[in-house]
Amino acid sequence: MLSKPLLKREIKSNYKILLFMFAVMTMYGAIIIAMFDPELGESLKMMAEGMPQLFAAFGMNSFSSVLVEFLAQLLYNLIFVVFPLILIIILTLRLLIHYNDRGSMAYLLATPNSRGKIVRTQLFVMVLANISLCVFATVMCIIISQIMFPGELEIGKFVVLNFGLLCLIMFFSGLCFCTACIFQEAKLANGIGIGISIAFLMIKMIAQTGDKAEFFKYLTPMTLFDTKALVTNQSKGYIGAIVLLVVGLIFYGVGVKVFCRKDLSL
Amino acid sequence: MTKVFEINHITKDYGNQKGVFDVSFSVNQGEVMGFLGPNGAGKTTTIRQLMGFIHPDSGEVKINGLDCFKDAAKIQETLGYLPGEIAFMDGMTGIEFIKFIADMKNMTDLSYAKELMEFFELDPKGKLKKMSKGMKQKIGIVCAFMNHPKQVILDEPTSGLDPLMQNRFVELILKEKAKGTTILMSSHIFEEIERTCDRTVIIKSGHIMAVEDMNKLKSGKKKNYIVRFKDKDSAEQYAKEHQISKEAVEDATITVGVKGNVDDFIKGISKYEIKDLSIKSQSLEEMFMHFYGGEENVK
Repeated sequence: MLSKPLLKREIKSNYKILLFMFAVMTMYGAIIIAMFDPELGESLKMMAEGMPQLFAAFGMNSFSSVLVEFLAQLLYNLIFVVFPLILIIILTLRLLIHYNDRGSMAYLLATPNSRGKIVRTQLFVMVLANISLCVFATVMCIIISQIMFPGELEIGKFVVLNFGLLCLIMFFSGLCFCTACIFQEAKLANGIGIGISIAFLMIKMIAQTGDKAEFFKYLTPMTLFDTKALVTNQSKGYIGAIVLLVVGLIFYGVGVKVFCRKDLSL
Repeated sequence: MTKVFEINHITKDYGNQKGVFDVSFSVNQGEVMGFLGPNGAGKTTTIRQLMGFIHPDSGEVKINGLDCFKDAAKIQETLGYLPGEIAFMDGMTGIEFIKFIADMKNMTDLSYAKELMEFFELDPKGKLKKMSKGMKQKIGIVCAFMNHPKQVILDEPTSGLDPLMQNRFVELILKEKAKGTTILMSSHIFEEIERTCDRTVIIKSGHIMAVEDMNKLKSGKKKNYIVRFKDKDSAEQYAKEHQISKEAVEDATITVGVKGNVDDFIKGISKYEIKDLSIKSQSLEEMFMHFYGGEENVK
Protein backbone atom coordinates (compact mmCIF):
# COMPACT_ATOMS: atom_id res chain seq x y z
CA MET A 1 0.00 0.00 0.00
CA LEU A 2 2.65 2.50 1.08
CA SER A 3 6.36 2.79 0.46
CA LYS A 4 8.19 2.58 3.77
CA PRO A 5 11.50 4.16 2.71
CA LEU A 6 9.67 7.09 1.11
CA LEU A 7 7.48 7.55 4.17
CA LYS A 8 10.53 7.58 6.41
CA ARG A 9 12.30 10.07 4.21
CA GLU A 10 9.30 12.44 3.99
CA ILE A 11 8.75 12.42 7.73
CA LYS A 12 12.41 13.15 8.29
CA SER A 13 12.47 16.05 5.88
CA ASN A 14 9.15 17.64 6.93
CA TYR A 15 8.77 17.22 10.68
CA LYS A 16 10.55 20.51 11.41
CA ILE A 17 7.88 22.47 9.56
CA LEU A 18 5.26 20.78 11.69
CA LEU A 19 7.17 21.64 14.88
CA PHE A 20 7.34 25.26 13.77
CA MET A 21 3.55 25.28 13.27
CA PHE A 22 3.13 23.78 16.75
CA ALA A 23 5.17 26.63 18.20
CA VAL A 24 3.20 29.33 16.40
CA MET A 25 -0.13 27.77 17.37
CA THR A 26 0.97 27.50 21.00
CA MET A 27 1.77 31.18 21.04
CA TYR A 28 -1.60 32.20 19.60
CA GLY A 29 -3.43 29.66 21.74
CA ALA A 30 -1.86 31.02 24.91
CA ILE A 31 -2.65 34.63 24.00
CA ILE A 32 -6.30 33.98 23.17
CA ILE A 33 -6.85 31.83 26.26
CA ALA A 34 -5.31 34.55 28.41
CA MET A 35 -7.84 37.01 26.99
CA PHE A 36 -10.63 34.96 28.56
CA ASP A 37 -9.65 36.72 31.78
CA PRO A 38 -12.66 38.96 32.64
CA GLU A 39 -10.44 42.03 33.03
CA LEU A 40 -8.68 41.57 29.72
CA GLY A 41 -12.05 40.74 28.16
CA GLU A 42 -13.37 44.16 29.20
CA SER A 43 -10.69 46.02 27.29
CA LEU A 44 -11.19 43.73 24.32
CA LYS A 45 -14.89 44.54 24.33
CA MET A 46 -14.12 48.23 24.28
CA MET A 47 -11.86 47.79 21.31
CA ALA A 48 -14.50 45.74 19.52
CA GLU A 49 -17.05 48.47 20.05
CA GLY A 50 -14.66 50.97 18.53
CA MET A 51 -14.11 48.95 15.32
CA PRO A 52 -17.10 46.61 15.06
CA GLN A 53 -16.68 45.75 11.34
CA LEU A 54 -13.03 44.78 11.62
CA PHE A 55 -13.60 42.68 14.69
CA ALA A 56 -16.59 41.01 13.09
CA ALA A 57 -14.51 40.01 10.08
CA PHE A 58 -12.29 38.04 12.42
CA GLY A 59 -15.32 36.54 14.11
CA MET A 60 -14.97 38.61 17.25
CA ASN A 61 -18.30 40.40 17.49
CA SER A 62 -19.46 39.13 20.84
CA PHE A 63 -17.62 37.45 23.65
CA SER A 64 -18.93 34.42 25.40
CA SER A 65 -18.37 33.85 29.07
CA VAL A 66 -18.09 30.10 28.48
CA LEU A 67 -14.47 29.20 27.75
CA VAL A 68 -15.13 26.58 25.07
CA GLU A 69 -17.45 28.96 23.20
CA PHE A 70 -14.94 31.74 23.60
CA LEU A 71 -12.22 29.61 22.01
CA ALA A 72 -14.55 28.37 19.27
CA GLN A 73 -15.23 31.93 18.33
CA LEU A 74 -11.86 33.61 18.71
CA LEU A 75 -9.44 30.82 17.90
CA TYR A 76 -11.23 28.30 15.70
CA ASN A 77 -13.04 30.71 13.44
CA LEU A 78 -9.90 31.98 11.80
CA ILE A 79 -6.52 31.69 13.49
CA PHE A 80 -6.50 27.92 13.83
CA VAL A 81 -7.73 27.62 10.26
CA VAL A 82 -5.09 29.86 8.73
CA PHE A 83 -2.05 28.09 10.17
CA PRO A 84 -3.09 24.59 9.12
CA LEU A 85 -3.85 26.01 5.70
CA ILE A 86 -0.31 27.39 5.44
CA LEU A 87 1.03 23.98 6.44
CA ILE A 88 -1.11 22.29 3.80
CA ILE A 89 0.15 24.63 1.10
CA ILE A 90 3.79 24.06 2.06
CA LEU A 91 3.34 20.30 2.22
CA THR A 92 1.55 20.10 -1.12
CA LEU A 93 4.56 21.86 -2.61
CA ARG A 94 7.08 19.65 -0.92
CA LEU A 95 5.30 16.32 -1.25
CA LEU A 96 4.09 16.59 -4.80
CA ILE A 97 4.66 19.72 -6.84
CA HIS A 98 8.44 19.94 -6.40
CA TYR A 99 8.88 16.30 -7.38
CA ASN A 100 6.97 16.83 -10.60
CA ASP A 101 8.33 20.24 -11.38
CA ARG A 102 11.99 19.52 -10.73
CA GLY A 103 11.85 16.05 -12.22
CA SER A 104 12.98 14.09 -9.18
CA MET A 105 9.74 12.12 -9.48
CA ALA A 106 11.59 10.28 -12.28
CA TYR A 107 13.88 8.70 -9.68
CA LEU A 108 10.96 7.61 -7.52
CA LEU A 109 9.19 6.05 -10.49
CA ALA A 110 12.37 4.37 -11.71
CA THR A 111 11.98 1.97 -8.79
CA PRO A 112 9.59 -0.98 -8.55
CA ASN A 113 6.91 1.15 -6.89
CA SER A 114 3.71 1.99 -8.72
CA ARG A 115 2.54 5.56 -9.09
CA GLY A 116 -0.38 4.69 -6.85
CA LYS A 117 1.95 3.56 -4.09
CA ILE A 118 4.10 6.68 -4.36
CA VAL A 119 1.22 9.13 -4.36
CA ARG A 120 -0.63 7.28 -1.58
CA THR A 121 2.50 7.54 0.56
CA GLN A 122 2.69 11.30 0.00
CA LEU A 123 -0.99 11.58 0.81
CA PHE A 124 -0.50 9.60 3.99
CA VAL A 125 2.18 12.05 5.12
CA MET A 126 -0.27 14.89 4.52
CA VAL A 127 -3.06 13.22 6.50
CA LEU A 128 -0.63 12.39 9.27
CA ALA A 129 0.36 16.07 9.48
CA ASN A 130 -3.31 17.14 9.54
CA ILE A 131 -4.12 14.77 12.38
CA SER A 132 -0.99 15.67 14.37
CA LEU A 133 -1.87 19.33 14.11
CA CYS A 134 -5.40 18.83 15.45
CA VAL A 135 -4.29 16.50 18.22
CA PHE A 136 -1.61 18.98 19.20
CA ALA A 137 -4.08 21.90 19.19
CA THR A 138 -6.45 19.93 21.42
CA VAL A 139 -3.85 18.87 23.96
CA MET A 140 -2.06 22.20 23.99
CA CYS A 141 -5.25 24.24 24.58
CA ILE A 142 -6.48 21.86 27.27
CA ILE A 143 -3.19 22.12 29.16
CA ILE A 144 -2.99 25.91 28.93
CA SER A 145 -6.66 26.29 29.93
CA GLN A 146 -6.19 24.03 32.92
CA ILE A 147 -3.21 26.05 34.06
CA MET A 148 -4.85 29.46 33.62
CA PHE A 149 -8.47 28.63 34.39
CA PRO A 150 -8.63 25.26 36.12
CA GLY A 151 -11.84 23.35 35.45
CA GLU A 152 -13.30 26.00 33.10
CA LEU A 153 -12.89 24.15 29.80
CA GLU A 154 -15.52 21.56 28.91
CA ILE A 155 -13.18 18.99 27.44
CA GLY A 156 -15.80 16.85 25.69
CA LYS A 157 -17.14 19.80 23.73
CA PHE A 158 -13.65 21.02 22.99
CA VAL A 159 -12.66 17.66 21.49
CA VAL A 160 -15.73 17.78 19.24
CA LEU A 161 -14.67 21.25 18.10
CA ASN A 162 -11.23 19.95 17.17
CA PHE A 163 -12.72 17.04 15.30
CA GLY A 164 -14.64 19.62 13.27
CA LEU A 165 -11.39 21.45 12.62
CA LEU A 166 -9.79 18.22 11.41
CA CYS A 167 -12.66 17.76 8.95
CA LEU A 168 -12.15 21.28 7.61
CA ILE A 169 -8.40 20.76 7.27
CA MET A 170 -8.96 17.47 5.48
CA PHE A 171 -11.23 19.32 3.08
CA PHE A 172 -8.58 21.95 2.33
CA SER A 173 -5.73 19.46 2.02
CA GLY A 174 -7.89 17.37 -0.33
CA LEU A 175 -8.56 20.44 -2.42
CA CYS A 176 -4.89 21.46 -2.67
CA PHE A 177 -3.71 17.91 -3.26
CA CYS A 178 -6.29 17.27 -5.95
CA THR A 179 -5.55 20.44 -7.91
CA ALA A 180 -1.82 19.70 -7.60
CA CYS A 181 -2.47 16.32 -9.22
CA ILE A 182 -4.66 17.70 -11.97
CA PHE A 183 -2.41 20.49 -13.22
CA GLN A 184 1.03 19.73 -14.54
CA GLU A 185 2.58 23.16 -14.56
CA ALA A 186 3.87 24.10 -11.12
CA LYS A 187 2.32 27.57 -11.16
CA LEU A 188 -1.15 26.22 -11.80
CA ALA A 189 -0.73 23.13 -9.64
CA ASN A 190 0.16 25.36 -6.75
CA GLY A 191 -1.75 28.53 -7.52
CA ILE A 192 -5.20 27.12 -8.09
CA GLY A 193 -5.29 25.28 -4.76
CA ILE A 194 -3.97 28.29 -2.86
CA GLY A 195 -6.21 30.71 -4.76
CA ILE A 196 -9.41 28.80 -4.10
CA SER A 197 -8.54 28.23 -0.43
CA ILE A 198 -7.79 31.89 0.20
CA ALA A 199 -10.93 32.94 -1.67
CA PHE A 200 -13.03 30.68 0.59
CA LEU A 201 -11.37 32.22 3.63
CA MET A 202 -11.92 35.80 2.47
CA ILE A 203 -15.55 35.13 1.61
CA LYS A 204 -16.08 33.79 5.10
CA MET A 205 -14.57 36.93 6.60
CA ILE A 206 -16.84 39.10 4.49
CA ALA A 207 -19.87 37.03 5.46
CA GLN A 208 -19.10 37.62 9.14
CA THR A 209 -19.08 41.41 8.87
CA GLY A 210 -22.84 41.80 9.09
CA ASP A 211 -26.35 41.14 7.94
CA LYS A 212 -25.98 42.74 4.54
CA ALA A 213 -23.08 40.46 3.61
CA GLU A 214 -24.53 37.40 5.22
CA PHE A 215 -25.57 35.74 1.95
CA PHE A 216 -21.84 35.34 1.26
CA LYS A 217 -21.83 32.45 3.67
CA TYR A 218 -23.50 30.32 1.02
CA LEU A 219 -20.47 30.83 -1.22
CA THR A 220 -17.87 29.26 1.03
CA PRO A 221 -17.69 25.70 2.33
CA MET A 222 -16.15 27.11 5.49
CA THR A 223 -19.70 27.86 6.63
CA LEU A 224 -20.02 24.09 7.12
CA PHE A 225 -17.43 24.38 9.89
CA ASP A 226 -19.90 25.91 12.33
CA THR A 227 -17.86 26.30 15.49
CA LYS A 228 -20.78 27.61 17.51
CA ALA A 229 -23.01 24.70 16.54
CA LEU A 230 -20.23 22.24 17.32
CA VAL A 231 -19.66 23.46 20.88
CA THR A 232 -23.35 23.81 21.64
CA ASN A 233 -24.05 20.27 20.50
CA GLN A 234 -26.29 21.13 17.53
CA SER A 235 -26.63 18.49 14.84
CA LYS A 236 -26.01 20.97 11.99
CA GLY A 237 -22.48 21.31 13.34
CA TYR A 238 -21.83 17.58 13.02
CA ILE A 239 -23.46 17.28 9.62
CA GLY A 240 -21.40 20.17 8.26
CA ALA A 241 -18.16 18.66 9.55
CA ILE A 242 -18.94 15.23 8.11
CA VAL A 243 -19.78 16.77 4.72
CA LEU A 244 -16.42 18.56 4.70
CA LEU A 245 -14.62 15.34 5.57
CA VAL A 246 -16.40 13.34 2.89
CA VAL A 247 -15.74 15.96 0.21
CA GLY A 248 -12.09 16.06 1.28
CA LEU A 249 -11.80 12.29 0.94
CA ILE A 250 -13.41 12.44 -2.50
CA PHE A 251 -10.80 15.04 -3.50
CA TYR A 252 -8.08 12.69 -2.30
CA GLY A 253 -9.52 9.82 -4.33
CA VAL A 254 -9.81 11.91 -7.48
CA GLY A 255 -6.26 13.25 -7.02
CA VAL A 256 -4.78 9.76 -6.73
CA LYS A 257 -6.73 8.52 -9.77
CA VAL A 258 -5.65 11.48 -11.90
CA PHE A 259 -2.03 11.17 -10.83
CA CYS A 260 -1.94 7.48 -11.77
CA ARG A 261 -3.19 8.16 -15.27
CA LYS A 262 -1.72 11.45 -16.34
CA ASP A 263 1.30 12.20 -18.48
CA LEU A 264 4.27 13.37 -16.43
CA SER A 265 6.92 15.39 -18.22
CA LEU A 266 9.90 14.12 -16.30
CA MET B 1 15.83 -13.61 -30.85
CA THR B 2 13.72 -12.25 -28.00
CA LYS B 3 12.73 -8.65 -28.28
CA VAL B 4 13.24 -6.85 -24.97
CA PHE B 5 12.25 -3.30 -25.89
CA GLU B 6 9.47 -3.05 -28.44
CA ILE B 7 8.30 0.24 -29.82
CA ASN B 8 5.46 -0.16 -32.31
CA HIS B 9 4.32 2.81 -34.39
CA ILE B 10 4.16 5.29 -31.53
CA THR B 11 3.10 8.85 -32.13
CA LYS B 12 3.16 11.57 -29.49
CA ASP B 13 2.35 14.92 -31.01
CA TYR B 14 3.15 18.02 -28.94
CA GLY B 15 2.22 20.32 -31.82
CA ASN B 16 4.63 22.54 -33.75
CA GLN B 17 6.15 19.36 -35.17
CA LYS B 18 7.52 18.53 -31.75
CA GLY B 19 7.19 14.98 -30.53
CA VAL B 20 7.64 11.61 -32.20
CA PHE B 21 5.79 10.34 -35.22
CA ASP B 22 5.19 6.70 -36.12
CA VAL B 23 8.37 5.58 -34.39
CA SER B 24 9.09 1.85 -34.46
CA PHE B 25 12.13 -0.16 -33.46
CA SER B 26 13.05 -2.97 -31.13
CA VAL B 27 16.06 -4.00 -29.08
CA ASN B 28 16.95 -7.67 -28.78
CA GLN B 29 18.04 -9.57 -25.71
CA GLY B 30 21.65 -8.78 -24.84
CA GLU B 31 21.99 -6.07 -27.44
CA VAL B 32 23.43 -2.60 -26.91
CA MET B 33 21.43 -0.19 -29.00
CA GLY B 34 22.42 3.38 -29.65
CA PHE B 35 19.76 6.05 -29.97
CA LEU B 36 21.29 8.84 -31.95
CA GLY B 37 19.86 12.17 -32.91
CA PRO B 38 20.40 15.90 -32.50
CA ASN B 39 18.85 17.83 -29.61
CA GLY B 40 15.07 17.94 -29.78
CA ALA B 41 14.83 14.98 -32.16
CA GLY B 42 12.52 13.01 -29.87
CA LYS B 43 14.94 10.74 -28.02
CA THR B 44 13.75 11.71 -24.55
CA THR B 45 10.09 11.65 -25.65
CA THR B 46 10.56 8.05 -26.78
CA ILE B 47 12.35 7.13 -23.55
CA ARG B 48 9.61 8.73 -21.42
CA GLN B 49 7.16 6.39 -23.07
CA LEU B 50 9.39 3.40 -22.37
CA MET B 51 9.52 4.50 -18.73
CA GLY B 52 5.73 4.85 -18.55
CA PHE B 53 5.86 8.57 -17.75
CA ILE B 54 3.66 9.45 -20.72
CA HIS B 55 1.15 7.65 -22.93
CA PRO B 56 1.65 7.46 -26.65
CA ASP B 57 -1.19 9.08 -28.63
CA SER B 58 -1.21 5.92 -30.70
CA GLY B 59 0.88 2.80 -30.99
CA GLU B 60 2.27 0.66 -28.19
CA VAL B 61 5.44 0.42 -26.11
CA LYS B 62 6.49 -2.78 -24.40
CA ILE B 63 9.36 -4.05 -22.31
CA ASN B 64 9.60 -7.84 -21.91
CA GLY B 65 6.11 -8.04 -23.37
CA LEU B 66 4.67 -5.84 -20.59
CA ASP B 67 2.83 -2.58 -21.23
CA CYS B 68 5.15 0.28 -20.29
CA PHE B 69 2.46 2.43 -18.70
CA LYS B 70 0.23 -0.12 -17.01
CA ASP B 71 2.96 -2.45 -15.79
CA ALA B 72 5.61 0.18 -15.04
CA ALA B 73 6.22 -0.99 -11.48
CA LYS B 74 6.71 -4.61 -12.60
CA ILE B 75 9.07 -3.56 -15.39
CA GLN B 76 11.13 -1.49 -12.96
CA GLU B 77 12.04 -4.59 -10.97
CA THR B 78 14.70 -5.47 -13.54
CA LEU B 79 15.27 -2.12 -15.23
CA GLY B 80 17.92 0.52 -14.63
CA TYR B 81 17.31 4.09 -15.74
CA LEU B 82 19.42 7.20 -16.00
CA PRO B 83 17.35 10.34 -16.66
CA GLY B 84 18.59 12.89 -19.15
CA GLU B 85 18.04 15.71 -16.72
CA ILE B 86 19.53 15.39 -13.29
CA ALA B 87 17.10 16.38 -10.58
CA PHE B 88 17.76 14.95 -7.18
CA MET B 89 15.93 15.60 -3.99
CA ASP B 90 16.70 18.57 -1.79
CA GLY B 91 18.81 18.49 1.29
CA MET B 92 20.32 15.03 0.92
CA THR B 93 23.94 14.02 0.65
CA GLY B 94 25.04 11.84 -2.24
CA ILE B 95 25.37 8.72 -0.15
CA GLU B 96 22.01 9.32 1.54
CA PHE B 97 20.39 9.56 -1.85
CA ILE B 98 22.04 6.38 -3.11
CA LYS B 99 20.94 4.55 0.02
CA PHE B 100 17.44 5.94 -0.29
CA ILE B 101 17.10 4.77 -3.90
CA ALA B 102 18.54 1.39 -2.87
CA ASP B 103 15.80 1.14 -0.22
CA MET B 104 13.19 2.11 -2.79
CA LYS B 105 14.50 -0.69 -5.00
CA ASN B 106 14.28 -3.13 -2.07
CA MET B 107 18.02 -3.73 -2.22
CA THR B 108 19.89 -5.04 0.78
CA ASP B 109 23.33 -5.51 -0.73
CA LEU B 110 25.18 -2.28 -1.48
CA SER B 111 28.50 -3.88 -2.41
CA TYR B 112 28.10 -3.27 -6.15
CA ALA B 113 27.09 0.33 -5.51
CA LYS B 114 30.33 0.77 -3.57
CA GLU B 115 32.28 -0.88 -6.34
CA LEU B 116 30.74 1.51 -8.88
CA MET B 117 31.52 4.55 -6.71
CA GLU B 118 35.15 3.50 -6.55
CA PHE B 119 35.23 2.78 -10.26
CA PHE B 120 34.01 6.31 -11.01
CA GLU B 121 36.13 7.84 -8.24
CA LEU B 122 33.03 9.26 -6.67
CA ASP B 123 33.04 10.69 -3.18
CA PRO B 124 29.33 10.94 -2.37
CA LYS B 125 29.61 12.44 1.10
CA GLY B 126 28.82 16.02 0.14
CA LYS B 127 25.41 17.65 -0.24
CA LEU B 128 23.78 17.00 -3.61
CA LYS B 129 23.00 20.66 -4.04
CA LYS B 130 26.66 21.61 -3.99
CA MET B 131 27.84 18.90 -6.39
CA SER B 132 29.12 19.56 -9.89
CA LYS B 133 27.22 18.27 -12.89
CA GLY B 134 29.75 15.49 -13.40
CA MET B 135 29.43 14.27 -9.83
CA LYS B 136 25.66 14.25 -10.05
CA GLN B 137 25.87 12.33 -13.29
CA LYS B 138 28.05 9.73 -11.59
CA ILE B 139 25.49 9.35 -8.82
CA GLY B 140 22.81 8.85 -11.45
CA ILE B 141 24.93 6.17 -13.12
CA VAL B 142 25.51 4.39 -9.81
CA CYS B 143 21.75 4.44 -9.12
CA ALA B 144 20.99 3.04 -12.57
CA PHE B 145 23.39 0.09 -12.34
CA MET B 146 23.71 -0.74 -8.66
CA ASN B 147 21.02 -3.43 -8.53
CA HIS B 148 22.37 -5.43 -11.51
CA PRO B 149 19.53 -4.56 -13.88
CA LYS B 150 18.79 -6.85 -16.82
CA GLN B 151 17.67 -3.95 -18.99
CA VAL B 152 19.06 -0.45 -18.91
CA ILE B 153 17.84 2.80 -20.43
CA LEU B 154 20.34 5.65 -20.46
CA ASP B 155 19.47 9.15 -21.59
CA GLU B 156 22.65 10.96 -22.65
CA PRO B 157 24.74 9.15 -20.05
CA THR B 158 28.08 10.86 -20.55
CA SER B 159 26.93 14.46 -20.41
CA GLY B 160 28.94 16.29 -17.77
CA LEU B 161 31.64 13.62 -17.56
CA ASP B 162 35.25 14.46 -18.39
CA PRO B 163 37.04 12.39 -21.06
CA LEU B 164 38.64 10.09 -18.48
CA MET B 165 35.27 9.31 -16.93
CA GLN B 166 33.69 8.96 -20.35
CA ASN B 167 36.21 6.19 -20.97
CA ARG B 168 35.33 4.58 -17.65
CA PHE B 169 31.73 4.73 -18.67
CA VAL B 170 32.47 2.98 -21.95
CA GLU B 171 34.29 0.29 -19.96
CA LEU B 172 31.24 -0.13 -17.75
CA ILE B 173 28.95 -0.53 -20.77
CA LEU B 174 31.27 -3.12 -22.31
CA LYS B 175 31.32 -5.00 -19.03
CA GLU B 176 27.54 -4.94 -18.82
CA LYS B 177 27.34 -6.06 -22.42
CA ALA B 178 29.52 -9.06 -21.58
CA LYS B 179 27.08 -9.88 -18.76
CA GLY B 180 24.27 -9.96 -21.30
CA THR B 181 22.49 -6.77 -20.23
CA THR B 182 20.19 -5.23 -22.80
CA ILE B 183 20.93 -1.54 -23.14
CA LEU B 184 19.31 1.39 -24.92
CA MET B 185 21.48 4.46 -24.81
CA SER B 186 20.68 7.84 -26.29
CA SER B 187 23.30 10.30 -27.38
CA HIS B 188 24.00 13.11 -29.77
CA ILE B 189 27.65 12.16 -30.06
CA PHE B 190 28.49 9.53 -32.63
CA GLU B 191 31.82 8.46 -31.10
CA GLU B 192 30.21 7.47 -27.83
CA ILE B 193 27.77 5.18 -29.61
CA GLU B 194 30.48 3.93 -31.96
CA ARG B 195 32.54 2.46 -29.16
CA THR B 196 29.79 0.58 -27.38
CA CYS B 197 26.82 -0.25 -29.54
CA ASP B 198 25.90 -3.14 -31.82
CA ARG B 199 23.27 -1.20 -33.69
CA THR B 200 21.92 2.30 -33.59
CA VAL B 201 18.61 3.99 -34.22
CA ILE B 202 18.93 7.34 -35.90
CA ILE B 203 16.14 9.80 -35.23
CA LYS B 204 15.57 13.25 -36.62
CA SER B 205 12.66 15.66 -36.07
CA GLY B 206 10.61 12.89 -34.47
CA HIS B 207 11.01 10.47 -37.35
CA ILE B 208 13.17 7.36 -37.45
CA MET B 209 15.63 7.72 -40.29
CA ALA B 210 17.39 4.39 -39.99
CA VAL B 211 18.21 1.48 -37.76
CA GLU B 212 21.75 0.62 -38.77
CA ASP B 213 24.35 -1.94 -37.95
CA MET B 214 27.28 -0.20 -36.26
CA ASN B 215 29.90 -1.88 -38.46
CA LYS B 216 28.21 -0.63 -41.56
CA LEU B 217 28.15 2.91 -40.20
CA LYS B 218 31.79 2.75 -39.19
CA SER B 219 32.97 1.56 -42.58
CA GLY B 220 30.98 4.25 -44.33
CA LYS B 221 32.18 7.00 -42.07
CA LYS B 222 34.23 9.73 -43.62
CA LYS B 223 37.08 11.33 -41.74
CA ASN B 224 38.22 14.85 -42.43
CA TYR B 225 41.89 15.68 -42.08
CA ILE B 226 43.15 19.22 -41.92
CA VAL B 227 46.56 19.35 -43.58
CA ARG B 228 48.76 22.45 -43.40
CA PHE B 229 51.40 22.59 -46.11
CA LYS B 230 54.64 24.55 -46.23
CA ASP B 231 53.10 27.20 -48.45
CA LYS B 232 50.15 27.97 -50.67
CA ASP B 233 51.85 26.72 -53.82
CA SER B 234 52.45 23.20 -52.55
CA ALA B 235 48.90 23.09 -51.20
CA GLU B 236 47.54 23.98 -54.60
CA GLN B 237 49.80 21.48 -56.25
CA TYR B 238 48.55 18.73 -53.92
CA ALA B 239 44.97 19.70 -54.59
CA LYS B 240 45.54 19.51 -58.32
CA GLU B 241 47.28 16.15 -58.06
CA HIS B 242 44.48 14.58 -55.99
CA GLN B 243 41.56 16.30 -57.70
CA ILE B 244 40.47 18.22 -54.62
CA SER B 245 38.09 21.09 -55.24
CA LYS B 246 39.35 24.66 -54.88
CA GLU B 247 36.92 25.36 -52.00
CA ALA B 248 38.78 22.94 -49.77
CA VAL B 249 41.99 24.89 -50.17
CA GLU B 250 42.41 27.81 -47.84
CA ASP B 251 45.77 29.47 -48.03
CA ALA B 252 48.27 26.68 -47.20
CA THR B 253 45.64 24.48 -45.56
CA ILE B 254 43.48 21.79 -47.15
CA THR B 255 40.61 19.85 -45.61
CA VAL B 256 40.73 16.35 -47.07
CA GLY B 257 37.86 13.91 -46.68
CA VAL B 258 39.01 10.29 -46.45
CA LYS B 259 36.65 7.36 -46.59
CA GLY B 260 37.80 3.85 -45.73
CA ASN B 261 41.47 3.31 -46.48
CA VAL B 262 43.67 5.96 -44.95
CA ASP B 263 46.94 4.53 -46.32
CA ASP B 264 46.76 6.15 -49.75
CA PHE B 265 46.12 9.51 -48.15
CA ILE B 266 49.13 9.28 -45.84
CA LYS B 267 51.42 8.13 -48.64
CA GLY B 268 50.11 10.94 -50.79
CA ILE B 269 50.90 13.72 -48.34
CA SER B 270 54.25 12.23 -47.35
CA LYS B 271 55.73 13.59 -50.56
CA TYR B 272 55.19 17.13 -49.29
CA GLU B 273 56.56 19.06 -46.38
CA ILE B 274 53.74 19.07 -43.84
CA LYS B 275 53.55 21.67 -41.07
CA ASP B 276 50.53 20.29 -39.27
CA LEU B 277 48.00 17.48 -39.47
CA SER B 278 44.81 17.21 -37.44
CA ILE B 279 41.48 15.42 -37.55
CA LYS B 280 38.30 17.39 -37.77
CA SER B 281 35.56 15.54 -35.97
CA GLN B 282 32.37 15.15 -37.88
CA SER B 283 29.22 16.64 -36.44
CA LEU B 284 26.06 14.63 -36.35
CA GLU B 285 24.57 16.83 -39.04
CA GLU B 286 27.50 16.15 -41.30
CA MET B 287 27.15 12.45 -40.60
CA PHE B 288 23.56 12.43 -41.69
CA MET B 289 24.42 14.48 -44.72
CA HIS B 290 27.06 11.98 -45.55
CA PHE B 291 25.02 8.82 -44.97
CA TYR B 292 21.75 9.88 -46.39
CA GLY B 293 22.81 12.61 -48.76
CA GLY B 294 20.48 15.35 -49.88
CA GLU B 295 19.23 18.33 -47.96
CA GLU B 296 15.74 16.92 -47.47
CA ASN B 297 17.03 14.43 -44.94
CA VAL B 298 19.12 16.74 -42.89
CA LYS B 299 17.22 19.99 -43.07
